[in-house]
Amino acid sequence: MSTAIAATPVARRPERTGAPLGRLLTGELRWIFRRPRTLVVLGLLALAPVAVGISAAAVGNAAASGEGPPLFSVMGGNGFILAIGSLLIGSTFLLPLVVTMSAADALAGESANGTLRGLLLAPVGRLRLLGIKAFGVACMAVAAAAITALAGLLTGLVISGTDGLVTLSGSTLSLLDTLGTLGLAVAWVALQLYAFGAIALAISACTEHPMLVLAGVFAGNILFGILGSLPALSWLDPFLITESWAALPDLLRDPIPAEALTEGALRAACYIVIGLSLAGARMLTKDG
Amino acid sequence: MTSTMTSAAYAKGLRKVYRGTVAVDNVDLDVPRGAVLGLLGPNGSGKTTTIRMLLGLVTPSAGTVELLGADMPSGAARVLPRVGALVEGPGFHPFLSGKENLRRVATAEPTLSSAAIPGAVRDALDRVGLSGAANRKFRGYSLGMKQRLGLAAALLVERELVILDEPTNGLDPAGAREIRRVIAQLREAGSTVIVSSHLLAEVEATCTHVAVLHQGNVVAQGELADLLEAGNPTLLVSTPDADRAVESLRDNRIPARIAPDGVRVDLTAVRQPDVLRALVHAGVDVYEARRERTGLEELFAKVTENELDAAADEVPAQVPDDWLSPVSGSGVSGNGVAGNREES
Repeated sequence: MSTAIAATPVARRPERTGAPLGRLLTGELRWIFRRPRTLVVLGLLALAPVAVGISAAAVGNAAASGEGPPLFSVMGGNGFILAIGSLLIGSTFLLPLVVTMSAADALAGESANGTLRGLLLAPVGRLRLLGIKAFGVACMAVAAAAITALAGLLTGLVISGTDGLVTLSGSTLSLLDTLGTLGLAVAWVALQLYAFGAIALAISACTEHPMLVLAGVFAGNILFGILGSLPALSWLDPFLITESWAALPDLLRDPIPAEALTEGALRAACYIVIGLSLAGARMLTKDG
Repeated sequence: MTSTMTSAAYAKGLRKVYRGTVAVDNVDLDVPRGAVLGLLGPNGSGKTTTIRMLLGLVTPSAGTVELLGADMPSGAARVLPRVGALVEGPGFHPFLSGKENLRRVATAEPTLSSAAIPGAVRDALDRVGLSGAANRKFRGYSLGMKQRLGLAAALLVERELVILDEPTNGLDPAGAREIRRVIAQLREAGSTVIVSSHLLAEVEATCTHVAVLHQGNVVAQGELADLLEAGNPTLLVSTPDADRAVESLRDNRIPARIAPDGVRVDLTAVRQPDVLRALVHAGVDVYEARRERTGLEELFAKVTENELDAAADEVPAQVPDDWLSPVSGSGVSGNGVAGNREES
């Protein structure tokens, strides 16, 4: 043990009121992506398209002579369709789950560990801290969408090579075009996921139980799904974030019809603004 | 603002109400720079809430706080880099090692340059004796190691003010002694220290100033020595000839009586040198004469007396000797004893 404790109040460097932002952001990313549960969840996300691809290929061979769901049967032979199909399959539950989990850890989880207080005492300004957390959740949304799409594409390429990159409209895409469209798909899905993440952050700022955040977001997800399926309440549809996912298969067409996708992106943006504003308001008044 | 630049922490009329429950009421605190203030009080007396308000973590319902000359919580960004704190137990991530946890804290320290982080982390771990366990997961730390890591985080950079909330919780006697040593070093280096505790001996051994909180109110405050001598001052004279000593003192109209360990002299009406002169003139052998002070425990009992009696009726399980098991003791008393009155 050293005996010298340096605490001379004199001779101070010029006062800084905050640590460098870049350092805080990389620190946050390191914290997220070194976390065992993050790695496990991302690994499972990558496994899902592989399982879908293999079973679709098996079904597709059988369905060539008989029956089978049309999208599902073409997925097996096409890396492009498998990638977007995987995103679509993940969109109902898996992908929002991953992003919600990261948002739950971001504030409620830190609060439960007592580590949020440490950050506030450092001090990291409250809105700055929310900004850092929002950045982390955004990275998680992109990572989740990208890993799903990438795993789908690679599985498809392994199963049937680059020959089968046809759109649902029947045209064939070059590998470059495929990657371009997939990039668009990943960005669009990440935006939708971030809408979930922003709402989750708002709940996360209000509680110190990460479980409550998951429960809240998923109760909402299921409720929205039910509301969206009731014909009598169709006037509600433009407000339901869950309605956006129906636009995702549009990316499989050539040319891509932009209307529903654009509407979905705008809807997500609204949710993000609302979610982050609520989270910000809560952060400013929250007891640390 | 009425505080002077000599105050490291200053609070006036602090009040905090949680949903109709008054946690802290009308607390005035003045901690001079360079002091070691012991914030004393039973569990649930409002120590932690007061500390959280001092640090700007909680906005007071009423009253003002100044920390190192800046209003809180508005001045938090300017002041907190110079303040180290361990509040409500150490908060760290179980899946990271002690070192990684400290690095994460260091990342957010405004006054630490990125290049200085590894060195600061190493020094802090070294200072609290955790170098050997630096790479072990926080999950596997013992209670005492967790507490030390919390202290290390508070001392990561030079601090003008260090606030420690129950720092010796879960530490063995050797660990507690080390904390006392660290506090003494901080004081020597010119830092101000505020340390809350429900362990009286702890405070008596380390602090220059004391504030006693009870049911959300400050019931006594001041320099430790002054507070301890507030009772009837007595002089304990150690002599082989107690009978003759008492006799000669009484001849000089100095009240004295025989005690098991010598002769006890009441100093209310007489000065200490006069007592000694009287004894020496009478030819009494004197080995030692020392001022006997009221124990902190006695003082504490005195200032919180009435309420404690009332509380004892409500909570029969009240454990008087919770210094034997600080951790389990905290679960027994707590809010039942604490002054939670309805907001009027």
